[in-house]
Amino acid sequence: MTTTLVLSGFLALSAGLLGISIFGILTRRNFILLLISIEIGMNAAILNFVYFAAFSGASTGLTGQAIAVVLIGFAATEIAVGLAIVLALNRLKGTINVAQSNELKL
Amino acid sequence: MSLEELAFLVLAVIALVTAAAALLVRELVHTILWVAIFFVDLAAIYFLLEAPFLGVLQLGVYAGAVTVLLLFGVMTTRKRIFAREAVTGIGATPLALALITFVFLVSALGELGTSEQPIRSYDPSYLSTNLFQTNGPWLLLLGLIMLASVSGSIYLVREGRE
Repeated sequence: MTTTLVLSGFLALSAGLLGISIFGILTRRNFILLLISIEIGMNAAILNFVYFAAFSGASTGLTGQAIAVVLIGFAATEIAVGLAIVLALNRLKGTINVAQSNELKL
Repeated sequence: MSLEELAFLVLAVIALVTAAAALLVRELVHTILWVAIFFVDLAAIYFLLEAPFLGVLQLGVYAGAVTVLLLFGVMTTRKRIFAREAVTGIGATPLALALITFVFLVSALGELGTSEQPIRSYDPSYLSTNLFQTNGPWLLLLGLIMLASVSGSIYLVREGRE
């Protein structure tokens, strides 16, 4: 299939998503919003693997898709552990605001 | 403008708008709804890139499982599900950092050159061969890590733990 799509357009989309993710990580104080910000950044990274797999001429490009499958699994795992931490934090402190969880601060 | 280019432009704009809206709205449930649209939109981009297996995986894992898990997280940690978050503001420094990252990465795109290459479509059976034979050990490692994370999550949320 021949298309007129170019790789740089896709990479610019990933860069935009990473920017939004960094903005969310730095501004949001709610643990669930932090998790969502990290997921947006992770998805931007996974998209890059799929772009390069799609635009590489060689059959080794499939490795990019294989890595993307593994990364999607890792991201789901990360959400599960993150939500377990959210529940434990909520039980312990009564809030999921990360600004109030400062026991480990020096 | 070809149909593929138009589809990509629409999908890219939806992805950026939904990702930004997810972080800017004040109700957490609305955030999760925006994120669900974002995940479905990414699945559409995978289909556009001739990666249907990844598209289906994205729909099942992200748009399905992760969204429901996040909703459960909201339901179990709030008295009123539609309660609003306190305003945290946008903040000039984080916005500047995000913009600098974006501009830096986009300016590096010029190094790629402008050679157009057609999108390559793969037979899903080749992907399974690559996944389970060539990268089999990594998949096994992923399974072990997922098992350890499930055990760790149960340990974290179990009753009676102080």
